[in-house]
Amino acid sequence: MQYTTDVRIIRLMCTGRVDPPMLADAFMKGADGVMVVGCHFGDCHYITGNYQGKIKVGLASRTLDYVGLNPRRVSFSQCSSAEGERFVNMVSAFDQTIRELGPLGNAERVALPELKDKLAIAKTVLSREKIRWVVGKFTEFTTTGNKYGERFTEHEMWRTLDTIIMDEVATYEILRELENAPASAKEMAAKLKLPPPHVLKYVLALQRRGFVGLAEIDGTSPRYQIVDPMAKEEAA
Amino acid sequence: MSAKRVIIFGGDPAGVAAALAQAEAGMQVTLIEPSPGLGGERLSQTQLVVDGSAFVDPNLEAVKKHPNIRIITNAQVEHAAAENGSYRLRVRRNTARVDLEKCNDCRACMRVCPIHMYDDFNEGLGFRTAIDFFNPETGTYNIFKEDMPVCQATCPANLDIRSYVGLIADGKYEESLAKIRERLPFALSIGRVCPHPCETACNRGYVDEPISICTLKRFVADYEMNNEIPPPVDVPDEFHKEKVALIGAGPASLSCGYFLAKAGYRSVCFEALPEPGGMFRYGIPEYRLSTPTLMYEINWILSHGIELRCNTRVGKDISFADIQKEYDAIFIGVGAHTGIKLQIKGEELEGVVDGVDFLRDVNMGKPVNAKGKVIVIGGGNVAMDAARVSWREGFDEVHVLYRRTKKEMPASPWEIDAAEHEGVKFQYLVAPIEVVGKNGKMTGLKCLRMQLGEPDASGRRRPVPIEGSEFVIEAETLIPAISQRPDLSFVPEEGGLNITRWNTFHVDQQTFMTNVPGIFSAGDVETGPDIAIRACANGRKAADGIIQYLQAKGSK
Repeated sequence: MQYTTDVRIIRLMCTGRVDPPMLADAFMKGADGVMVVGCHFGDCHYITGNYQGKIKVGLASRTLDYVGLNPRRVSFSQCSSAEGERFVNMVSAFDQTIRELGPLGNAERVALPELKDKLAIAKTVLSREKIRWVVGKFTEFTTTGNKYGERFTEHEMWRTLDTIIMDEVATYEILRELENAPASAKEMAAKLKLPPPHVLKYVLALQRRGFVGLAEIDGTSPRYQIVDPMAKEEAA
Repeated sequence: MSAKRVIIFGGDPAGVAAALAQAEAGMQVTLIEPSPGLGGERLSQTQLVVDGSAFVDPNLEAVKKHPNIRIITNAQVEHAAAENGSYRLRVRRNTARVDLEKCNDCRACMRVCPIHMYDDFNEGLGFRTAIDFFNPETGTYNIFKEDMPVCQATCPANLDIRSYVGLIADGKYEESLAKIRERLPFALSIGRVCPHPCETACNRGYVDEPISICTLKRFVADYEMNNEIPPPVDVPDEFHKEKVALIGAGPASLSCGYFLAKAGYRSVCFEALPEPGGMFRYGIPEYRLSTPTLMYEINWILSHGIELRCNTRVGKDISFADIQKEYDAIFIGVGAHTGIKLQIKGEELEGVVDGVDFLRDVNMGKPVNAKGKVIVIGGGNVAMDAARVSWREGFDEVHVLYRRTKKEMPASPWEIDAAEHEGVKFQYLVAPIEVVGKNGKMTGLKCLRMQLGEPDASGRRRPVPIEGSEFVIEAETLIPAISQRPDLSFVPEEGGLNITRWNTFHVDQQTFMTNVPGIFSAGDVETGPDIAIRACANGRKAADGIIQYLQAKGSK
């Protein structure tokens, strides 16, 4: 049994250990595809590790898809340590898929230099507490339910996660713009190619939550700047 | 109680000032405010520009500290009644989902809250998080959670549609069906016949077309039946000793019996006709709901511990008084099976057969003299069923007469379209005035043309007759299907049951108990002719009422 030498194996204790930002990181470091292979459901040494892994990889692939990566570059599959041939077949098939897609930037919705920027945003989004909390609660909410005993379907959870991905990507794009210099909603919208009312909505939410404050008023449009919420509280 | 009690609605500055004034005058004041905090939504208009400033009513602290003022926030008044010069209010209080005693206003929750929603204070201009402060200065935090989804709120049974449709999307069909059966035993039948008000309300309809909620329900129920998965029978190991009599074996009674069995109460079901199912069996034509499918579902419901006695008409085969003696509670769900008369001349002639009677005869397999022309009068779903059934029975021509136009017809539009497609002829703006006959047999129907006038109480334009426009349609059969009333002749007069002028029972809308303790009623016999899902829903509510009643009786 032989398989392609184009793969680099990274060993982890469990697919549940795959942190979503790792996948974004792999692409930023130049990988053309990432394949996560774990145990079959029910075979997990940690009981639910591979369920967590499936959700985490699913989330990473959805986020990367949203920022413009071809979702076929991420795969989650299962294979036990006794299924050598199955593993070889899976790797060969995935290798074939990636060969068809070509190097990163060839089969994507976004061109390469911009894609790298977007991947960085995706990595930030995936490493922040908001998404981590929802992902961590995913299996709990779909099986035993929340504090009020309300159970959610996987369909609903994914739909919620999709909107969170959308919100978070927009939020961190705006924050990155504001890190450079104070800007108005219109200026940011032009740079990010988003509709200005859309940008304003996120800016107002950020302001309400204490991340962004008013810098100056230029003519009729207010310019916003980043405020460190903790610093403000310590001063007060 | 020496001091007079005053209730003030609304905690905006005017309400707060009024509360203070009343309290100072020695009244006991209760302040009810629908939003989570007092002071109204009085953020200053410059809030967008001037960071962190908010208008705070100077009276606010005084109101909070005043001993004579009780503040209820996050609450709505649901019901108000005046009696003997005083008011009684029912107030529903929503939970804030935040423990305000422990909250120290650190805002960490807001920074990590993953849910964005439109900020309704800013008229949707910006987003806010689901957990949010109400007013930056007073800092009352709450998690905004919407009420039921519109589909669930519209459904008379309040089925958890969001969940069961989501579970189908997940591929968990059996769990989805279990979810439906938490509130409705008739997934197979309702999935076939429901006029689905939920889909009319569905928000997806604004984007393209509504989610096919009803067909999805049918799909999961069919999945179970076609794959021969045994439906779960989930009843307690031991039943209580009390027994309940169910009069009628229709959707309302069987739903009631199903939920009683789940709570551990046995019931006995008395049915006048040879087979159970009520309007499902004898009202809905075979092509909409086939008998084997219905019986599959009913047999499963009966297997929960409901004893069925068919061909037992209460008042004839067994007296109402006997049932009252023998059983601890009675549920009346006999439906509305008597057609309303047209009140025109010649209605007693041979050839005139009422809509529900016609459908019942066909469903029982009785031969129909299907010759010549048939006229169906009415614009509801019973009329559509009668027309489509008579077309299937082999009448040469089927005519539907309706006194308004197609737009005002109460029948489901897809039923009207299907009937038109099948070749049923519709005549609008026509009203019958006399059945013409010879030798006791009907030969035709004298009609009058109408035109639409001003809207009446139901909001539909009232038909006005056109003078001198009489004409005769020749026909051998006439099927009036204008509406139905329950037949309550079995109820003894000395029983003291209140019967409304529509020949229905008047019940308490919480427990579904009639004015006589221990006698409950739901379904068409309580609402008048209505959709099946409402009968099922009210049957379940009545079951809850019966359980409460029996528990209270048992604990005495």
